[in-house]
Amino acid sequence: MRRLVLLFFLLFSIHVANAQKYMTKNGFIGFASHTSMEEIKGDNNQVASVLDIKTGELVFQVLMKSFHFDRALLEEHFNENYVESDKFPKSSFTGKITNLSTVDFAKKGIYPVAVDGELTIHGIVKKISSKGTLEVLDGGINASSKFNINPEDYGIAIPSLVREKISKDLEVTVTMKYAPLATN
Amino acid sequence: MKPSVKIALFGVFFLAVIGIGTALYLYNKKPADLQNVKPEFTMTAGELLHAFESDEVNATVKYVNKVIDVSGVVATSLSGENTYTIALITGSSISFVICTFQNTSNMIQPLVGETITVRGTCSGYLMDVLMNNCVAIIK
Repeated sequence: MRRLVLLFFLLFSIHVANAQKYMTKNGFIGFASHTSMEEIKGDNNQVASVLDIKTGELVFQVLMKSFHFDRALLEEHFNENYVESDKFPKSSFTGKITNLSTVDFAKKGIYPVAVDGELTIHGIVKKISSKGTLEVLDGGINASSKFNINPEDYGIAIPSLVREKISKDLEVTVTMKYAPLATN
Repeated sequence: MKPSVKIALFGVFFLAVIGIGTALYLYNKKPADLQNVKPEFTMTAGELLHAFESDEVNATVKYVNKVIDVSGVVATSLSGENTYTIALITGSSISFVICTFQNTSNMIQPLVGETITVRGTCSGYLMDVLMNNCVAIIK
């Protein structure tokens, strides 16, 4: 985790010399569980992320306690029983856009991208691949992606009592509105 | 049916209703509205950031999950889907106290440059201090 924070600050700190980095501190990551018994969703609007359009490197960081639920009990169970937010307060992703050459950052438009990287949740690191889009705008870049994760891959045990209420695969939605670092 | 059996059955029924009612209340309870919650700490945005920057471990123990009144000048404001987020100036050029308001239906949105006091629950520190479930405090 310390290395990740260093990488994040490194990407951030060299913006004066290089304006090819984009950042947001208000990115959105949400997850949803759909079962016939219950719909559960958690939203986090405080995601910090840096995108380097020269190298395609991407870094995301979130505090687990910033996930918001519409019911207090869900929030309590999420933090205390599942992700153990006191023990593992942060989650992160570090990765790279693998088809960067297909994106023309000088031309407005929506470009499909593929991303490979490592997702760290609950102290467990897993390699993941995902598809998404980058929308090149005047003075900014929007990024979005949807993918599924299995909480049990990250050592998050779902008690058998509520197993039927929580889907095995959680749908994760990522929406970022990046601005050039120099103007953040 | 004997009167004692009737009373016992009524007692069981009464307890079951109370139990189900309590369970439903707890299950559907919304996150607390902090407007009427007494804050555990009152400080400026700069003081809160400094606490995390100088000793993140101790500041996490002291402030995370606690209700804090934080005052500062609004640097940026941003509307999201059902949320509103402001960044309070801390004295640092890159780190802020970021406050997210979840219930925005009756909210008067703070303006950039305005001095404001925000009550929220501290979630911790990334490169900013993050506050959630925030409400604006009118003094």
